Amino acid sequence: MKHYDVVCPFCGCLCDDLEITVENNRIIGVDNGCTLGNAKFMGKERLSSPIRRNGDGWETISYEEAVGYTVDMLLEADRPLLYGWSGTHGEAQCTGVHMCELVGGIIDSTTSVCHGPSILAIQEVGHPGCTLGRVKNRADVVIYWGCNPLEAHPRHMSRYTTYADGYFLDNAFRERKVIVVDVRKTETARVADEFVRIKPGGDYAVLSALRAIVRGKGDMVPASVAGVSRSQLERMVAMCKDAKFGAVFFGLGLTMTKGKYKNIRNAIELVDELSRHTKFTITPMRGHWNVYGSNEVFTWMTGYPYAIDFCRGIAFYNPGETSAIDILARKECDACLIVGSDPGAHFPRGCAEHLADIPVVVIDPVPTMTTAFANVQIPVAVSGIDAEGTAYRMDGVPIRVKKVIEPTLPSDSEVLGDIFARMKEATGYD
Amino acid sequence: MKVTLEVKPRRKPYLPIEAEGIMPRTFFEGADGLTVYRGNKELALEEIFSVAIEGEAASVDEVAIEILGDSSRIKRIGEYMDGGRIHIAGDIGMHCGNFMSAGEIVIDGNADAWLGREMRGGAIRCHGNAGDYCGAGYRGEKRGMRGGTVEVLGDAGDFAAETLAGGTVIIHGNAGDLAGVDMKDGVLTIMGETWRACANMSGGTCYVHGTVHDMIPTFRNVGRETVGGEVFTRFAGDIANRGKGTLFIRNYKYMD
Amino acid sequence: MTELLIRNACVIDPINDICGEIMDIAVRDGKIVESVGSGAEVIDANGNLTMPGGVESHTHICGTKVNFGRYMSPEDMRAGRTARRGHMHATSGYSVPTTYGTSYRYSAMGYTTALEGAMAPLEARHTHEEFAYTPLQDMMANTLFDGNWPVMQAIHEGDHKRVAAIVGWTLAAVKGFAIKLTNPGGTEAWGWGKDVSSIRDPVPHFEVTPAEIISAMIEANEMLNLPHSVHLHCNCLGKPGNYETTLETFDLVPNAHDKRQSLYATHVQFHAYGGSSWRDICSRSEEICRSINSKPQIVMDMGQVMFGKTTTMTADGPMEFNLYRLYHNKWSNHDVELETGSGIIPVHYSRKNLVNSIMWAIGLELALLTDNPWQCILATDNPNGAPFVKYPEIIALLMSKRYRNEVFATVHPGTEHNVPLAALDRELTWNDIAIMTRAAPAKALGLVDVGKGHLGEGADADIAIYPIDITTTDPANAPQDVIRAFAQTDYTIKRGRVVCCRGTCTVDGENTTIWVKPQISENHSMEDDPEFNLNFDRYYTVRKRNYPVQEEYLHRNLCIETEAKL
Repeated sequence: MKHYDVVCPFCGCLCDDLEITVENNRIIGVDNGCTLGNAKFMGKERLSSPIRRNGDGWETISYEEAVGYTVDMLLEADRPLLYGWSGTHGEAQCTGVHMCELVGGIIDSTTSVCHGPSILAIQEVGHPGCTLGRVKNRADVVIYWGCNPLEAHPRHMSRYTTYADGYFLDNAFRERKVIVVDVRKTETARVADEFVRIKPGGDYAVLSALRAIVRGKGDMVPASVAGVSRSQLERMVAMCKDAKFGAVFFGLGLTMTKGKYKNIRNAIELVDELSRHTKFTITPMRGHWNVYGSNEVFTWMTGYPYAIDFCRGIAFYNPGETSAIDILARKECDACLIVGSDPGAHFPRGCAEHLADIPVVVIDPVPTMTTAFANVQIPVAVSGIDAEGTAYRMDGVPIRVKKVIEPTLPSDSEVLGDIFARMKEATGYD
Repeated sequence: MKVTLEVKPRRKPYLPIEAEGIMPRTFFEGADGLTVYRGNKELALEEIFSVAIEGEAASVDEVAIEILGDSSRIKRIGEYMDGGRIHIAGDIGMHCGNFMSAGEIVIDGNADAWLGREMRGGAIRCHGNAGDYCGAGYRGEKRGMRGGTVEVLGDAGDFAAETLAGGTVIIHGNAGDLAGVDMKDGVLTIMGETWRACANMSGGTCYVHGTVHDMIPTFRNVGRETVGGEVFTRFAGDIANRGKGTLFIRNYKYMD
Repeated sequence: MTELLIRNACVIDPINDICGEIMDIAVRDGKIVESVGSGAEVIDANGNLTMPGGVESHTHICGTKVNFGRYMSPEDMRAGRTARRGHMHATSGYSVPTTYGTSYRYSAMGYTTALEGAMAPLEARHTHEEFAYTPLQDMMANTLFDGNWPVMQAIHEGDHKRVAAIVGWTLAAVKGFAIKLTNPGGTEAWGWGKDVSSIRDPVPHFEVTPAEIISAMIEANEMLNLPHSVHLHCNCLGKPGNYETTLETFDLVPNAHDKRQSLYATHVQFHAYGGSSWRDICSRSEEICRSINSKPQIVMDMGQVMFGKTTTMTADGPMEFNLYRLYHNKWSNHDVELETGSGIIPVHYSRKNLVNSIMWAIGLELALLTDNPWQCILATDNPNGAPFVKYPEIIALLMSKRYRNEVFATVHPGTEHNVPLAALDRELTWNDIAIMTRAAPAKALGLVDVGKGHLGEGADADIAIYPIDITTTDPANAPQDVIRAFAQTDYTIKRGRVVCCRGTCTVDGENTTIWVKPQISENHSMEDDPEFNLNFDRYYTVRKRNYPVQEEYLHRNLCIETEAKL
């Protein structure tokens, strides 16, 4: 049978127009998706039951035992870290927050290794943004800064920008100007109308120079800024000011390079400045399909988007101190629950080393690099394939991911719900 | 009154201890039952420190606290301190002297990040190096440190004096990236070198006696000026931010 | 079966014409009943003031924009933190608290029902998710239609039935409660960085005026037979001289309904300014109230400003940008495709500031100059004018001329030349306050018939018992007692059980979402309308099939099905 308008649980685009063909409860075809999304639907080898490390090998254990191990681990710890969350749906994230609050731990999502700096910048200067449809229907100038959508968000340009039909554009592809700013000529840069090549580490200086030019102080800007000529910067500003609707998208090339959140702050303040002349918006290119959902859930439940420390009962927030990567690097936690993410693959070695030293439970459908550090792994159904729940697109639009096959394993919500229920029982919380 | 707190060895030495209760006023008012936290566990002060209290104090300013042993993971010492003295013989953990309004903290070793965050008054002197965000502010808060003095005799990490809005920060060694970023008021002095000083500043004054690397391109060169016998180049800025700050620099290099 | 008997209550229940009568209230299975058996749980009210649970008819506490206010404001979060305790989860925040923080604080003040003031349909799922974590108030959502493309197209074509059909489909799809217009037309113009300057100023491209949108939506609202009226945030919010726009808007409103108003004008304080610039801004509350007093078809809420820090948040994107240019503080904006906009900035209303002082005075004047308290509801447009925890102070200001004078003496000295407040001697009564905080909002929202805002037999047993004896307290001379009493109930009872006792919430709670589903005949249904569907999938970035809020998000809910005249 065929499922229409299925939501893709791969990246922050959350494309919701996929067609999935299912036979005998197996996915046999994916239409409309990109290669990254298709690969996720077509699936890797999944674990079929919980496993526990036994010497150098693994033994199969029951869900009951795995849940019991997790409960004991969390309750015994002085400073447990509950990390991940971007690969699961909102309902499971809510349970995660309640668990963290009950046990007095730290909860953080993959945000702290991707767009955490964007959030810190937004907390300083705010965020002039919009939903992606606003861009699709109106934008005549699109800037991709430090991101390469053709490879990381393959359908972003066809669904929301360059190649997408827009209500106010007769011929979107011709009428939209695309500016790409990057340190190297990426695939995306090749299709740009204007490519601005910056020396590594030079984003902040270029953004400052652009702001000064928008403010009419271009004569004070040196002839060359971080490898970019003043004349090119002036041309870029002219394109922006002439736009009826400009949209900036930025990625890890801006968030994870020198200066991090101050780069983003500068980009936002450039957009603020341009907003005095014409309509301009800015949007982070969120990576994991529901990383933004983790920020939304954590925010309404704790007040903060990520890196929340409940050790003292109240919610304390200080990325750089309470963010997972910093906690692991400084060895400041003594147990770790990892849900829906793979820090073993993405974190620096020092962090992984600490994971090897402390008890770790991983809740994930498939064996990952992180499995190597786990004491117990609990497999679950995949949200968006055989489990359903809420996800938030990179622009904040909430979409319910569906299930297209019947699950044979419990969902994240169910496993976490069991763990939480057992924790409440053990602590006498009714 | 002299309070001596010597850090005992711990089974999990890396787990931070939060000890915001350790400041002169607490001991002046009677520290019976004072607790500190190891993660989510509340512990008696004596579980973490050997405690010795000698003499009396007629005011908070007569209380001196001496911290001995490995205090590199003890956080929030001297938070909200409003008088008296703390001397730390070794290194100190994060958030030492946050919100401090009066008194003096002397650190013989290194200080971890957020030394003197949102400080209002008093003095902190760190003989070693300071971590990131020395004399800085809180996430999302427009104004950071507002008064008092933070003096670091070694180097400081990145974002020193971020959002500085009053008071004085002096770094005798080098300061890392983006020192004085978004500063609004107050005085920042760096004796060594630094990177991208005072980006986006909107007020206040900064002196750099060494070299500023990757100088922000949106400062207006006002000309040469002699201050205290030294010749500086004076800049106004940050022009990107209608800024009214002043930056005095001995040497600078743009990333061109 | 659970039974509860509240003895010795001094009841004010304006809908049932009870004013200060000492009586018992019987409750069975969450409803008010005539009597209960001897086994009922008993609460002694000790002669204290007992009223129906508070009904909030305009507040911003759940959804995308509110959450972004939290997200961008860690400095606000740390201003109000509590740890987990008993049945209470940890809370953070002052002006934009976490959902639990909001719910607990409203509950402590005796509020049991609240209307979220603005929900973008595309992001409705988010609002409903937050409703589930606001456990101690029954919730409903105003649904934004101020810049809705299919609606504006239908208005332009003069097809008002189609307008109603689109609105009806959307409300049911997103599980909304009422029609909200925020700066109608202006939020679409803001898609180009522009605004509309009056109700006759056409929306770019769509060629309809705000006046046409407002009139058509009032008509659609009555065609759909909705419980609430159109809920309007007028054009030109916060602009000196905007009272003329407000008066013109009021003149558009027909008397289209016999049981309630035809227009709910929200936070009118922000729309009652004279003058031509910030230098000569002044109060026009007298003109506004003269209009209100002659038009029973309009109900308004105050939009009171109180001094201190808060966060402004509204779908009115262009207005927030103007505020940003004024304050140079952080600014967020979030336009929603085909529907609406929004903006957020933190502000600090200072009593040393003349404009802020004038704003403070105007809100109070609106309440004092409106003859009929049923037409002026007490609200701050939380958190725009002030966080809702300031309500007790506002009540005291309205009940005590002396207290008003005391505060007036502390505001900017230029204020008295620009506002009539000092000359107003009226002091509101306990009954007036009961009307303005529960009876009138329940009536205005059309919730009396579902059991809100009163204590008659069959009503929901949502009850607030305040620790004050109104027979011995003179509110005119004891403002601090009034503030203390309204800040924290002895008991807040929701659906027949105590949910909050002296500030401590005693249950996890589970609220009810109230939403509407207009029954529309098949030939007007948007379900299979080819033009609607084609444009939907072409211009939205979410497929129509994925747009409606699924049943999973409703939990406990009350669906009000209406018979549409379509």
